[in-house]
Amino acid sequence: MKENATRSGINLSPVYGPSDANGDYSRRFGNPGEYPFTRGTRAYSGRGWIQRELSGEGDPKRSNEQFKYLMTLGQTGLDVIGDSPTMSLMDPDHPLARYTVGTQGVSLCRHDDYRQLLDGIPLDQMSISSSGPSMFTVASLYLLAKERGVSPGVLRGSVIEWPFYSEHCSYAYKMPFDLHLRMSCDVIEFCSKEMPKFHGFLEDTYFFSEAGLNAVEEAALGFVEIRHIVRALLARGLDIDSFAPRIAILTNCSMDFYEEIAKIRAMRRIFARMMKEEFGAKDPRSQAVNIAVHTSGLSLTTEQPANNIVRGAVQTVALGLAGVTALEISTFDEGYRTPSKEAHLVGLRTQQVIDLETNINSVQDPFGGSWFMESLTDEVEARILDMVNEIESLGDPAELVSSGYFKQFFHGTMGRYHRQVHDGEVLKVGMNVHQMPAEQDTLLRDISEEKIEPLFDRVEEISAYRDKRDHKPLLDSLQRLHDVVQTDENMLEAVLECTLAGATMGEIAGILRQAWGTPYDPYGHLESPIGSAQ
Amino acid sequence: MTPIRVLVGVLGMDQHELGAIGIARMLRDQGMEVIYTGCFNTPETIVQAAMQEDADVIGISSHSWEYLYYTPELLELLKQNDLDVPVVLGGSVITEEDAGKMLDKGVAAVFGSGSAMTDMIDTVRNLAASAATS
Repeated sequence: MKENATRSGINLSPVYGPSDANGDYSRRFGNPGEYPFTRGTRAYSGRGWIQRELSGEGDPKRSNEQFKYLMTLGQTGLDVIGDSPTMSLMDPDHPLARYTVGTQGVSLCRHDDYRQLLDGIPLDQMSISSSGPSMFTVASLYLLAKERGVSPGVLRGSVIEWPFYSEHCSYAYKMPFDLHLRMSCDVIEFCSKEMPKFHGFLEDTYFFSEAGLNAVEEAALGFVEIRHIVRALLARGLDIDSFAPRIAILTNCSMDFYEEIAKIRAMRRIFARMMKEEFGAKDPRSQAVNIAVHTSGLSLTTEQPANNIVRGAVQTVALGLAGVTALEISTFDEGYRTPSKEAHLVGLRTQQVIDLETNINSVQDPFGGSWFMESLTDEVEARILDMVNEIESLGDPAELVSSGYFKQFFHGTMGRYHRQVHDGEVLKVGMNVHQMPAEQDTLLRDISEEKIEPLFDRVEEISAYRDKRDHKPLLDSLQRLHDVVQTDENMLEAVLECTLAGATMGEIAGILRQAWGTPYDPYGHLESPIGSAQ
Repeated sequence: MTPIRVLVGVLGMDQHELGAIGIARMLRDQGMEVIYTGCFNTPETIVQAAMQEDADVIGISSHSWEYLYYTPELLELLKQNDLDVPVVLGGSVITEEDAGKMLDKGVAAVFGSGSAMTDMIDTVRNLAASAATS
């Protein structure tokens, strides 16, 4: 990072004064809880943020134990990640999944898995934020609530919609963009009707910004996606105020302290204006976007892992000052693995110390009115909007996805970040400055390097499970889903039916691909259970 | 002199591409020809690509422990195909201990996130040169 510029390249003056902040108060800022929500989506509550840590490892049962452990530590929401196959709509017994089942998240592929995963978790009290594939998470949460006599209407939490970028950045569905977009829109529409307190549309800018994007690029790509999905939902004839209150954003937080705070303030304002002025949202809840944050794993290092604890704490302070709704810290062992028990403890305790001991929540938006922060917020906002316009001027964003524009973009930012770190343009203590010899670098190293073994047993278990099911209702439900995909009907009802009939996520995803005229198994190993149905 | 041809790829379900892309660009900037195979590779696809593309060096980037299983399979498959192409591993998940194990199994070099760029480039150059003379 250059001394006098933010990571996005915004030049900073050494001192700011009255001439740097402009604009009238009510139009640009407003009180917390008032349009355009720059200063926060709610009037002061003093409640702080939902504190949670990324969790999920091994099989559903082991993850359930992990959740309960986190709850005993005082965690106030769940944040669940699937392993790579789960995140990519692949069952554990797929040949390509073999060596990574349960190693970087929990392995989930059938309704029974969700039953075990959430056993004993009070669905009506705990906010459940899932990074797992939204359609399957929502289907199982909905069914599970009903099974337990809880109204789906009281469920809280979120699922991620990522039709634009998932294919080229982190977790590929190997699906055509139009199909992925349809799945997202179906989920959002279903949730707006059946699970109105649940955020069926979490715009996750975290995962793609880990491709080395700066704050402006992250937010701009996020708004391109939000805008496109909103347009698609409106084109279905939905009222903006029927779903916009349940749009939320999950952002990243790098180590660029001021710019990250400005980014969050700017994103709240951009969202409010977009919803009100562009889409005509009247409900204030549609204009006020909750922002949750996952601190940057990319900002951490495998060298001197204890340094990562400091990074997480600094990021948490920034986010407390920015006024976020929920937070998870990337833990000190992030460079190697999903959080260990020890890392969970340190992560949650970091949040709790900052929340309870520093008085950070006693004042809302403490940076409000700061000449510097208001100037930076304006500049970040202007640059985000410029970039959104620039991207949209290149053509229909959907076309840009299909033509590989974003893939090229991400390759560019990955290459850039890699070079910046190697050139020392982005400084990382312990990695490219203040290094120490490996034999001295021992603090927390053993815990950080502890591995999670792949679950070969689970591969066998799921493989055996397939034959134990009642085949007639299973195949009927899959065939019906296949037919529904070819209509304009919302697919969720058919997915619920398949789920109850014992279908796995991989099978359902395969049927969706097949019905769309693309291969059932994009990797060419598996055959469709309903054959080459037309 | 023909440029050094390096195949760069990621194995299995590992979908963290930043290191692979970064290395690919870095090697290209040095005038090498990089055959970038992206994600979702298996030892079979890597060996096939290495043969078709006449690669001098194979570079595997890893941010998942899958490499612990796939790398020995890859080395074995290269041997079965009589392909004498050195394999270089890179990635922040590779601990010092595991790097040692991989070197014992026949990997030519291992790099972590903090490795110096010049070291990586020189290693690839030297490996390509010694493979050419062997």
